[in-house]
Amino acid sequence: MPSERELEISPIVQESLIHNSRTLYNLQSLTASLFGISAGILGLESYSGFLFYLIFSLLTAVLFYLVRVAPSSLAAGKSPLDTSRYFRGPFEFWAGGLMNGLAGFILTWTLLYGLVRA
Amino acid sequence: MTFLSKAITAFGGLLLAHACYSAREHTALQSLRAATAASLTSTPTVATSLPVDIILETIISTFVILLGLVLGTRPLRPIEWRVWAGKIEREGEEGFTDNSGAVDKDFMGNPFSAFESRPNFVDIRKQRREFAEWVQKGGSEATRYYAGSTR
Repeated sequence: MPSERELEISPIVQESLIHNSRTLYNLQSLTASLFGISAGILGLESYSGFLFYLIFSLLTAVLFYLVRVAPSSLAAGKSPLDTSRYFRGPFEFWAGGLMNGLAGFILTWTLLYGLVRA
Repeated sequence: MTFLSKAITAFGGLLLAHACYSAREHTALQSLRAATAASLTSTPTVATSLPVDIILETIISTFVILLGLVLGTRPLRPIEWRVWAGKIEREGEEGFTDNSGAVDKDFMGNPFSAFESRPNFVDIRKQRREFAEWVQKGGSEATRYYAGSTR
């Protein structure tokens, strides 16, 4: 997290920040429901379901990085896996989706599990 | 680009629906078989897990939909002011389009446009020269240009 002094030297555009966060948030909540559907079809239970969610959330972040962040970020001279061109901190990008989509994941997981196994 | 992502997502959705139906049918068949076996021999049969092809189809279709959704996300914008303003300066509207090529609705252009178009710095002689050429030509393409710029 940059200090106030660094923010004064290199200011940040709020609209871009909001736009990027909203793009990521939309993707994460959509894909979390999707992962719930496939976890329900597979009939996963307890820890293996959450492990499935964890793995696919990380995969989402990596794919999103490769498609949207990496081409211009690497061209601008940032090191690989550095998202500071588009996002505040690395934690928000790589792990923020875990909390955003958890409710949607459990909802569709239990629903599809009940539909398929009942 | 937007057509590609939608086609990939639709294809993955088809695969996922098929996998879901297969899993449903498989469990229905398993429970039926278990019920008949229990009534005939009274030995409890263990419920087998899904066949490998359904598992593979589910995971692959999830991955395909995920790919389609990621390809369908809107392009990001740089958050640092100097990078962002430089991108506007270099690329203009073309740098702020969504996947289908339309300019974003909240694109507001150069942040320094008010600063750069101060009346004190208008080149009035150049504008008069251009106006004189336009009057001499009376051309149609000049009319369109001025109608666009004065509005």
